[in-house]
Amino acid sequence: MLLELAQWLAQDIRGFNVFNYITLRAVLATLTALIISFLVGPTLIRKLTHYKVGQSVRDDGPQTHLIKAGTPTMGGALILVAIAISTLLWADLSNRFVWVVLFTTLGFGIVGWVDDWRKVVHRNPKGLSAKEKYFWQSVVGLSVAIYLQQTAVLPAETTLLIPFLKNLVIPLSALAFIVLTYLVVVGSSNAVNLTDGLDGLAIMPTVMVAGALAIFAYVTGHLYFSKYLGIPYVPGAGELMVFCAAMVGAGLGFLWFNAYPAEVFMGDVGALALGAALGIVAVIVRQEIVLFIMGGVFVMETLSVAAQVTYFKYTKYKTGTGKRIFLMAPLHHHYEEKGWKETQVVVRFWIISMMLVLIGLASLKIR
Amino acid sequence: MMNLGHQKCTEGALGEANMGFIHVMTTPNAPIRFWIISMMLVLIGLASLKIR
Repeated sequence: MLLELAQWLAQDIRGFNVFNYITLRAVLATLTALIISFLVGPTLIRKLTHYKVGQSVRDDGPQTHLIKAGTPTMGGALILVAIAISTLLWADLSNRFVWVVLFTTLGFGIVGWVDDWRKVVHRNPKGLSAKEKYFWQSVVGLSVAIYLQQTAVLPAETTLLIPFLKNLVIPLSALAFIVLTYLVVVGSSNAVNLTDGLDGLAIMPTVMVAGALAIFAYVTGHLYFSKYLGIPYVPGAGELMVFCAAMVGAGLGFLWFNAYPAEVFMGDVGALALGAALGIVAVIVRQEIVLFIMGGVFVMETLSVAAQVTYFKYTKYKTGTGKRIFLMAPLHHHYEEKGWKETQVVVRFWIISMMLVLIGLASLKIR
Repeated sequence: MMNLGHQKCTEGALGEANMGFIHVMTTPNAPIRFWIISMMLVLIGLASLKIR
């Protein structure tokens, strides 16, 4: 929105041309989202507390978490508002990718909102049923997958890029692209949701991965850099740097209130939306496998749940008594049960995430 | 200013980082909030590459 204004003003005052630079708008988007979070955050927390929109805590979880019961949840709405306003202000709104990522993020946000609303306002502990949740996630995921496939201009927009290998790109058929996009978006959405179990655990890796994807978006949408780095050139993808930057700002602004001991939780409205946002950006910049590496913490958490459930069912079927691989799933609870403090688990997972993001970024050069 | 109590004088002497710690002794989120401020300052510093 402000880009159009700046371009109009630049006809008389040349200095406004500086806003044509994506990098500058990305920095401004981060700061805008951060300031919105700081301004809206305290009011939102007061309102959520006033209306008793409090988190219920799983009674089979760690005992130390019982004191968290009643902490306001649905704070993810704050992140979404900050991202949406900041992106609408600083991104080029004639770019179709900007609308695709906004639609996906807000679409998954609505699914999460309904789930949270039923849980905390209607006091229905199950929220949306698993079937309902996956159905609506699938509707949004498949819609964007089909749209991206149908509107792809260049073959590069639908090829699978293998990181660390220079000349290996796999052209995907229409069906393969749609299925892959669906799996990445829905999978990453649910993976972030599973990770969101400790104060600050999900948001910081999300911020780090979003920051790295901002760099990927910039180079993928830049003719010279994409050629230099040997990655596919996707015209228009650079504008997603502004969106990712807004995610970084909104995420850090939320972390201010979510750091241990959390004043607010993001809830499904935040977790599902942020995960989907990472997934759809990774798809557009053709870095699905790199997302799998950089989001390794999310992947580990998801696999720990899958392994725990599968092993428990298998051993129960075989021996009559269910056995567990981990002391508790998801993985962060396992380490808590082993005696790590909550803050230790969180910061150590952040460090792992930082290392994985660096490995992902290294794939730009090492190929 | 003249009525500064002992605690406030001590806070001033300890510097900004420790002041945050004293004010919110029971709030361990102070370090993370200082990290966030630091990150934002780094970002503003990086923006100076373009804005000149």
